[in-house]
Amino acid sequence: MTRHTGDDGDEASGTGASERHGDADDGTRSRPGVPELGRDEQPAIFVPDDEEGEGDEAAGSGAGEAMDPRTSTDPRTATDQRTATDGGVESATGGSDSAELDPDAYDPIDVFPEGDLDLRDGADSCYKCTSCDTSCPVAEVDDEFPGPKFQGPEQWRLKRKDDHDIDESITSCSNCMRCDDACPSSVPLSQMHNEARGQFVEEQMEKLSLEYVRNRILANYRTSARLASVVPRLSTFAMNFGPARWAMDKVLGIPKEREFPEFATRTFREWWRDRGGAQVENPDKRVAYFHGCYSNYNTPEVGKAMVRVYEHFGYEVMVPPQKCSGTPMFANGMLKDARRHAETNVENLVAAIGDGADVIASCTSCSMSLRQEYPELFDIHGIEDVSDHTFEALEYLRIHEDLDGALAESGGPEDDRELAYHAPCHARNQGLARQAVETFRDVDGVEMEDVGDSCSGISGTYGWKSEKYEKSMQIGEEMFDHMEDAEGEVGMTECPTCAMQMEHGTGYEIEHPLQLLEETVVA
Amino acid sequence: MDDQVDVVVVGGGSTGCGVIRDLARRGLDAVLVEKGNLTHGTTGRMHGLLHSGGRYAVSDQKSARECIEENRVLRDIAAHCVEETGGMFVKRPEDSEEYFQEKLEGCRACDIPAEVIDGEEARRREPYLARDVEKAIVIPDGAVDPFRLCVANAADAREHGARVETHAAVTDVLVEDDEVVGVEIEHDSGPGKRVHRQPGTTEEIHARYVVNATGAWAGQIGEMAGVDVEVRPSKGVMTVMNTRQVDTVINRCRPKGDADIVVPHETACILGTTDEEVDDPEDYPEEEWEVDLMIETLSELVPALKDARTLRSFWGVRPLYEPPGTGTDDPTDITRDYFLLDHGERDELPGMTSIVGGKLTTYRMMAESITDHVCEKLDHDADCDTADAPLPGSEDFSVLRDYMEEFGIRSPIGRRSAQRLGSRTDDVLSGTDPNPVVCECEGVTRAEVRDAIDDAGSDLNAVRLRTRASMGNCQGGFCTHRIASELAQEYPGRVVRDAEDELYQERWKGQRHALWGRQLSQAMLNHLLHATTMNRDGDPATTDADVDFGAFDAGVDPDAEGSGTGGSGSDDSPAGVTATDGGLETADGDERNGGQHGDR
Repeated sequence: MTRHTGDDGDEASGTGASERHGDADDGTRSRPGVPELGRDEQPAIFVPDDEEGEGDEAAGSGAGEAMDPRTSTDPRTATDQRTATDGGVESATGGSDSAELDPDAYDPIDVFPEGDLDLRDGADSCYKCTSCDTSCPVAEVDDEFPGPKFQGPEQWRLKRKDDHDIDESITSCSNCMRCDDACPSSVPLSQMHNEARGQFVEEQMEKLSLEYVRNRILANYRTSARLASVVPRLSTFAMNFGPARWAMDKVLGIPKEREFPEFATRTFREWWRDRGGAQVENPDKRVAYFHGCYSNYNTPEVGKAMVRVYEHFGYEVMVPPQKCSGTPMFANGMLKDARRHAETNVENLVAAIGDGADVIASCTSCSMSLRQEYPELFDIHGIEDVSDHTFEALEYLRIHEDLDGALAESGGPEDDRELAYHAPCHARNQGLARQAVETFRDVDGVEMEDVGDSCSGISGTYGWKSEKYEKSMQIGEEMFDHMEDAEGEVGMTECPTCAMQMEHGTGYEIEHPLQLLEETVVA
Repeated sequence: MDDQVDVVVVGGGSTGCGVIRDLARRGLDAVLVEKGNLTHGTTGRMHGLLHSGGRYAVSDQKSARECIEENRVLRDIAAHCVEETGGMFVKRPEDSEEYFQEKLEGCRACDIPAEVIDGEEARRREPYLARDVEKAIVIPDGAVDPFRLCVANAADAREHGARVETHAAVTDVLVEDDEVVGVEIEHDSGPGKRVHRQPGTTEEIHARYVVNATGAWAGQIGEMAGVDVEVRPSKGVMTVMNTRQVDTVINRCRPKGDADIVVPHETACILGTTDEEVDDPEDYPEEEWEVDLMIETLSELVPALKDARTLRSFWGVRPLYEPPGTGTDDPTDITRDYFLLDHGERDELPGMTSIVGGKLTTYRMMAESITDHVCEKLDHDADCDTADAPLPGSEDFSVLRDYMEEFGIRSPIGRRSAQRLGSRTDDVLSGTDPNPVVCECEGVTRAEVRDAIDDAGSDLNAVRLRTRASMGNCQGGFCTHRIASELAQEYPGRVVRDAEDELYQERWKGQRHALWGRQLSQAMLNHLLHATTMNRDGDPATTDADVDFGAFDAGVDPDAEGSGTGGSGSDDSPAGVTATDGGLETADGDERNGGQHGDR
């Protein structure tokens, strides 16, 4: 069974937001309606954090500016040591006046006193069937990795309130989340892994270690990308400059085999500002585009395709201010960073939803994060709304528009296209693994082959670590083989890092389905 | 007589194990005999509460004082058996305020440290507590592992020269010239470690004194000697939850009643209990309503229990006793105090004393007083040191090291192993390489299993009691065969197979009382895996018997199959051989008492 956010009937008895919060005793939890930006701020250790200089972000929709933490009136900002995750909605410790609260309204995902999530009860759903372990791409190539069953339900069940030792192997999980998809009984595996990894990094990892620094840099890709985009050509050159790469490999453990993605000379948001924002106004059909970091800094053509396709179907596109979806941060246990970014995202996306928009992501990991990981890990006002209103770009069109009709009418792309399509793991978890192939199956002049259900092996930042590089390529081997076998010489996928891996392993150029849709329908 | 020993202790529960340890440490030549495994009777069937005394602080202050005293002793001498969880008496709006105050005063009067906290604070400490819990009294309750405790006592006794025989049922009490002179026992196998299919012998053990520490079974031993011991066995149900909803002991603060305690025990929580008099300590109904009552009533304190997964339920019988003529009707009113019945004074049958009543928390104190009594009878002069000498495994327990790195064991597994093994961790874990995890649910490695096998022979239930292997969510579905295969180096295939069947069956027995929701799914998965991959669905080809293929062609008489139906456990067939009890009858007709071993 695929775990879609919010459809676990027996978990999270979702009631109103009013009783989620409340914190009279420790005063460290968020309050309804007041996302406390930056309250778990830690001094950045490698580069200044990027809370300022975001003028371009507000240009798009004017839906509200990010709050600057330094102007926050919250006196707890500097010293607050609370953990990042807080049990999603309605933790039972909340409630200053318990007599008014419904004793039956329980959040099974409760918190340990320190504020960490208590996910032990997730072990109740585990039958030890081992489907998760057999579907884990890392366990297949890494003999030292005990697999998702141990990392999730077993490790949690053995945990006690006063235990703080998480096994180090949690850092070898690539967060591909295939275990979620494999589990026949809805064990919250990736949530267990995310929280355990967060606790491990927070409490057991040496903060001055190069591994921590490297992981934090990888997790905060948006920060590097934003800086790099100031001088994109130089950055692209410098990041891939041989001696620099050798040094990065040796010092930080970023594999020299990989080529850093090219930075766009004009970001998506710059393009959006220059074109004067939305070209279509339609209060009845509005979408807020969550472009994520990669479409903004590296592949603005995907973002542009999204805008053109959606405008073609008569949608008013909004581009609210936004930060990283958190996916690379979850994978590296940087939950505080992820939370900080989530607060900005939720605040702005909730505002857009209030304007009648649904949230559309073109990156399947971004939509995965907003849909599933956000409500599982954070208790931020409106986060459930964001989860409920988020869709992947192609998915949304398939629901609301007659795509087949439009594609048939179009007569296909100008030139015949042959494509080797790889479904990202995170698309699989949202039930979207076949959508691209199904969409283009009957389109004249398009031959799209599914290269199988294996993992690409890169899993975001996993393949960007020297010690994981070989394993990453081993995992990807099956996909590379199938791509070589496929007719097409161009790859296609929704996920930016899968695209990097596909390109790295085969030398193919990789496109996003939205680009093909643009080429076919809009042109 | 040459082979006469000083003392025979009958019964391998906490009392008997405590007594044999004390006797041995005082230099007496003693033998312990137990018909099953250690803890086979009542000790292995309790909720594992290490009393602070709070539960008796109003009704029975003498017991309360003894509890807090022994509570402190056990934290010291049996640190590896005790988890210092702390406990609370919580008050709901409908519970009496007056009683709450009485409880508080009672605790203070008995020197039990007690602190009142409000509902908010109680929920901060235990987030799953019901929101309408008003306040709580915090007391130093704890959790104790009765198996580990008894095994450690027996091990210490052995180190001091005692002999411990399990699976050795007393068949007669030897009386000569109106004096008890020993017992006759029947070894299930051996003597010595139990090994399946090894024939047992009958043995007479002559002793200068016999201690009857059989608790609820004391009347049966008494009968063999021709004396009356009026034990009033009272049953109570305990339901095991898959995970720990609470990390401290939660008691309901009200005078008395069923279903008023939740004890965090290792990876699980145990809900207790009921109190109902029964006639026979081995044959009483195990009823569905009792389990329902636990979950219903206790979810008033911890609402999450209602939807949480249960693993199994088990029943225990308290060895309640009251002096003749007291005439109490309600078993909950019978005192929890213990009594020494000197049959010489009482029945003019010298040479034997029975000990009845009491509770696990004060087992050491009971053992001390009966050992004093025996020493007096035998004119033996020695001091008791059991309150100060740590049990094997609890010496030097303060040394907490990084077992994970040292033995290449993953973190939570290393931690749990070290907690179970205490000061024996080094010895046990360093001997086996490679050392894979055998029981995934409880994090038990091969080293621990092999160590237990060294001690327990082919008896895998005894291995389970020592290690907790097979006591987690799959209830042995994924590990009984792995545990059994550890026997294979030492024992022939048939023995391994029998041992495996016995453990699997014992695990099934308790799950019969949890066959709904997720444990039902687990049980079905286990069954199908074992049936389809190991032929454990009663395939006659796996038995020693000749296969009557005609019976298959002709079809099986459906009535014959259905004799033991229903999961309620109230069937009246002998335990271990009905279809509901595991289904697999052994061909050699060896009726295994599958469920009779300590059951958790």
